[in-house]
Amino acid sequence: MPKIHDYDGPILEIDKLSISFFTRLHEIPAVMDFSVKVSPGEAVGLVGESGCGKSTVALGVMRDLGKNGRIVGGSVKFKGRDMAALSDAELRNLRGNEIAMIYQEPMASLNPAMRIGKQLMEVPMIHEGLSEHESYQRALEVVTDVKLPDPERILRSYPHQLSGGQQQRIVIAMALMSKPSLLILDEPTTALDVTVEAAVVELVKDLGKKYGTSMLFISHNLGLVLETCDRICVMYSGEAVERGDIETVFNNMQHPYTQALFRSIPLPGADKNSRPLVAIPGNFPLPHERPPGCNFGPRCDYFQAGLCDQDDITMKDVDGDGLHETRCLRFRDIDWNAPITLAQTKTKGEIGRVVLKMDNLKKYYEVAANALFGGGEKRVVKANETLSFEARESETLAIVGESGCGKSTFAKVLMGLETATDGEILLDGKNIEQIPIDKRDTKTVADIQMVFQNPFDTLNPSMAVGSQIMRALDIFGIGKNDAERRTRMLELLDLVKLPREFADRMPRQLSGGQKQRVGIARAFAGGARIVVADEPVSALDVSVQAAVTDLLMEIQRNEKTTLLFISHDLSIVRYLSDRVMVMYLGHVVELGSTDEVFSPPYHPYTEALLSAVPIADTHVTKKHIVLEGDIPSAMNPPSGCPFQTRCGWKSRVPGNLCEEEVPPVRQLKPGHQIKCHLSDEELANMEPVIKFGQEAAE
Amino acid sequence: MEPLTWFGAYGSSFGPLLLVLATLAITCGLCAALLAFIDNTPRASFSLFNGVAVLLLLLVGFTYVYGGLTGAEGGAMPLSTLGWMLGTLAALAVFAAMLAWFLDNFFDNPAAFMGILFKWAIYGVGAVVVLWLVVTLLWQGAAHKEWLAGFDAADMPPAEEIARHRYISRLESLGILANVAIRFTPVWIALVVLYGVSIRYKRRLGLYGKLFDSVIGMIGFGLVMFWVFTALFVGVFDMIATHAALEQASGMKNKLPGTPLMRAGPEEFPFYLLGGDNLARDIFSRMVYGSTIVIQIAPLATLFAFMVGITLGLPAGYYSGKLDTALSFLANLILAFPVILLFYLLVTPEIVQTGLPQYMAMVLFLFPLVFMGVLIQSRFRTQPQKNVIWIAVVLIPLFLLYAAAINDGGPDSKIRFWPLDFFDIPPGILVVFVAVVFVNSPTVFRIVRGLVMDIQTRDYVAAAQTRGERPWYIMLWEILPNARGPLIVDFCLRIGYTTILLGTLGFFGLGLPPESPDWGTTINEGRKLLSIYPHPALPPAFALLSLVLGLNLLADGLREESLKD
Ligand SMILES: Nc1ncnc2c1ncn2[C@@H]1O[C@H](COP(=O)(O)OP(=O)(O)OP(=O)(O)O)[C@@H](O)[C@H]1O
Ligand code: SF4
Ligand code: SF4
Ligand SMILES: [Mg+2]
Repeated sequence: MPKIHDYDGPILEIDKLSISFFTRLHEIPAVMDFSVKVSPGEAVGLVGESGCGKSTVALGVMRDLGKNGRIVGGSVKFKGRDMAALSDAELRNLRGNEIAMIYQEPMASLNPAMRIGKQLMEVPMIHEGLSEHESYQRALEVVTDVKLPDPERILRSYPHQLSGGQQQRIVIAMALMSKPSLLILDEPTTALDVTVEAAVVELVKDLGKKYGTSMLFISHNLGLVLETCDRICVMYSGEAVERGDIETVFNNMQHPYTQALFRSIPLPGADKNSRPLVAIPGNFPLPHERPPGCNFGPRCDYFQAGLCDQDDITMKDVDGDGLHETRCLRFRDIDWNAPITLAQTKTKGEIGRVVLKMDNLKKYYEVAANALFGGGEKRVVKANETLSFEARESETLAIVGESGCGKSTFAKVLMGLETATDGEILLDGKNIEQIPIDKRDTKTVADIQMVFQNPFDTLNPSMAVGSQIMRALDIFGIGKNDAERRTRMLELLDLVKLPREFADRMPRQLSGGQKQRVGIARAFAGGARIVVADEPVSALDVSVQAAVTDLLMEIQRNEKTTLLFISHDLSIVRYLSDRVMVMYLGHVVELGSTDEVFSPPYHPYTEALLSAVPIADTHVTKKHIVLEGDIPSAMNPPSGCPFQTRCGWKSRVPGNLCEEEVPPVRQLKPGHQIKCHLSDEELANMEPVIKFGQEAAE
Repeated sequence: MEPLTWFGAYGSSFGPLLLVLATLAITCGLCAALLAFIDNTPRASFSLFNGVAVLLLLLVGFTYVYGGLTGAEGGAMPLSTLGWMLGTLAALAVFAAMLAWFLDNFFDNPAAFMGILFKWAIYGVGAVVVLWLVVTLLWQGAAHKEWLAGFDAADMPPAEEIARHRYISRLESLGILANVAIRFTPVWIALVVLYGVSIRYKRRLGLYGKLFDSVIGMIGFGLVMFWVFTALFVGVFDMIATHAALEQASGMKNKLPGTPLMRAGPEEFPFYLLGGDNLARDIFSRMVYGSTIVIQIAPLATLFAFMVGITLGLPAGYYSGKLDTALSFLANLILAFPVILLFYLLVTPEIVQTGLPQYMAMVLFLFPLVFMGVLIQSRFRTQPQKNVIWIAVVLIPLFLLYAAAINDGGPDSKIRFWPLDFFDIPPGILVVFVAVVFVNSPTVFRIVRGLVMDIQTRDYVAAAQTRGERPWYIMLWEILPNARGPLIVDFCLRIGYTTILLGTLGFFGLGLPPESPDWGTTINEGRKLLSIYPHPALPPAFALLSLVLGLNLLADGLREESLKD
């Protein structure tokens, strides 16, 4: 099929697009009055919280809204042609040939039963009628382009034989097979680890330049958008609220929501006392419960009754040149440079005595080498290798690492769901590493509790919120009867700042952040002294993350809790933790105070992690480190240093040391240890990864 | 006395209209279904079974209507007519297919168009039926008045005779269908009340209330509740039925629907509404009585199968490993056995003699006790006082029931140790019950096991583990409640299977005694003379079909509604 050539206007023009979903009870306006233009070769970012309509816009462009979705207003023009006027056949041709879409979940776009090569070759064979040979050549070319090793082998394999990162690269390759003029990426890296994400983002950027493809990049991560896009469009509750060049919007924002978003994410440049996180109050309105006037009104600091809650608000031009627009009535009255007013300065609790001590903890799993017949040879998976650290009262110890690094295993052993293979865990000087949870006394169980990652999974959907907390109280032996437990439960709801009425609500009636608060209340039901928080905010929206993080820290201050904060997000780790432990493939590769870990000398893996985390600050320049390949599987770890397959510093170590010997743990300073063969001079000469403002300008 | 006609005195004016509308409805319905199938729109998800069942129901109804219009004597309807009707239906289907193809070429959305037409034809049928009912009910006394007018004031017949004549002429002018409808009056009232209340408060009734948002679910629920209420009114108040289930009347052998009784007593209902069977018993009454047996056994047997399946499936899924391997192997072993063969085995007199069904009952009936015991124990582990009270309140009655159920005073009984044996289950029913539970529980086991393996990975299960909950608490209170959606749906479907299974059993002459009025047995009895007298087999078949269809539609509706939200 021919493509539309000789067109030099904008590739995509969305004009006042409105999309609604129709349910039995009501019409749900998911997108309202949304306009954006994508010029050739340009990347436009679409950011906003979950539920604000980002994906709906993408599906609307693809005209793939399902049974109950409908475009109720506005138009979408692709290369000047109105998509509404196209026939089904023309639309089909457009999709896949001129517009390609990449989804969050790579497996959703791949056929599990078909070889990669065949899936890739299908695209040009169907759309352009290329011969099999030509298609194969094209497939080989794009697979090489997406930087996959050994392209011919990849083409012969099935999707499940590849890792998540590789699958996502194949999806990108597939999208590029037809050389589309527009690529829509819907959260393409959310399912990936940070270092892998960094590599994929890098790839997308390069390919965009190479093929001249325009991109619509959907993400909730401001940092990622800054790294990839030329222009940005911020969405809130179905509307675009601010639109403009990325630099302009980041440095000179003109909408209170954009400002609130930036204030709620931790930026590396700022320290937690001078620039505390400010959570956006309240909750995201449901589409059919939007307030009159400005949608952001109820959560806006600059809200003016009688003005903001009247008529629908339209986009206003900021500078008169049509390049920067905002949907705020008061943007001229607001002093955008006013410093953040601090509610109160909080002093961190005194760090007390050692509560928890791990000494040479090891956890190995024995798995059958042959899954089908069970017996015979056994293989050992070393999920945790010689973990040693101490955690003190009122201290926050962050455990950082990507998937498969052994964080969850470590938590399981600590909680008593698994017993340790070797080593010791001392709780108040008592050994608990060999006591499974049903043998532990109630006090020990209540002392170590956990906050889980996925808010939608953390509460039993069939039990009222209050009953779940009361069950925990009951199990921990608190309160003599139900009445006492109920009182205590209500106090716990107060503690996590939830209204008491929530006791009788079912979990599905709560938002993600509220559920997470209930999860926290439940963890503290037995007066926990050690709380393991497994990525407690990573599944929440940015605007809610800050509030939940704050809550955790506040409870910690009052209760003198030891917080083991598991995360892969280094920004938040830097913001709230006292000490940081970096893990890779079951090994602790670096351990030290937050300042020590975040400034050179780094362990090479820490350095790569720091560089991979996207930062939403235009004043920051990062040293650019892209790791090759994926994280090896713990079933089949590399010899010598666990990080040697991806390490960029390996060549600086004489001989084959990195491949032959597991590096020893070295004390750089008292309390700061790394596991690396690099010599002291090499370490001393390391440069900081992140540079700010003037530093960077030099 | 004249035999009753199908539509009574006013049938000739409404019948043809009804026939035309019904034909239109069937054609359009078929057409829409075919088009939906071609387009593969969600409407095609209407399962194959339901489609066939609807068609069969339509066929039976249609045949009766046709028979009523053409047959000189009531429901005269030789098998050739049935064949003829089948032929007509096939022709209609072909016509519908051609129409569908034709429309597909000329219309934008022909399925929707045909669907609308179908809807209106159905409304038309409904309207005509209502009109006919109103007319029939309003003018039912006309013939009697005419008869009275034929007498002089002087030689009036005695008062009883007038009353009797009025009664009979009313029945005659109503016709068979209206009489049947009137017999079901208590059921209609109960249904109207139930629907009124449920729809009024549907927002407060959880999943049950949401059922009333789905037309399919409402129809299914209506069909099911129709038979539940029928069983209730027949079983408890002895309403609806016109004669006793085993009562025989001389000269009524194989008589057609609407035949009057030869010598009806003054208190007796003077007609066999749906005719007599080969032992001269009233088919209508037997069908109605049959519902009590079906409605009692099927849900209860399914419930027991669920108890067994859940109690074993939970630990199998939760612990996996060796326990799972062993239990799954056992389940597959039972499933691999042909069901009918298993039944034949279980009901062979020699096997019954050994007491095997009773011993099986002893094991299978224990599961609800175990289930309830563990349920309570795991919940109130930390509160011993409450625990004891609850266990006593629930388990003591359950144990009494259990002991009485497995003990039997009969001469062949193997288990009779319990002094308080206050009821006996008839041996036939016990065998059927045990057999049905036995073959159903492995499937339930597998479903539960799969659900547990899925739900087990959720964080709330991990949270329960980390606060030191015991495994059974996690299985019963954290996992099971969240598996309820698929289980409820399966429960509905499984009652349907069980009903069919009961029918099949009866059909093969297994289990229930030959004189039992349950639907399977009656269909089997009727089948023997089907080529000469089709009418005895049709009503129970119709009943069975409608109940199973109702259960399937209900399950469909529940599934659909539980997916929303
Ligand atoms: N029960 C088990 N049997 C065998 N191997 C296991 C088991 N549990 C964990 N592992 C392996 O141990 C390694 C560490 O796993 P773990 O779940 O602790 O990683 P993680 O850092 O928590 O990852 P993620 O962030 O994805 O949750 C993985 O390679 C995993 O495959
Ligand atoms: S219009 Fe008013 S409420 Fe809305 S963002 Fe602007 S100042 Fe806030
Ligand atoms: S030991 Fe070698 S491979 Fe490992 S991190 Fe250090 S330099 Fe890299
Ligand atoms: Mg994990």
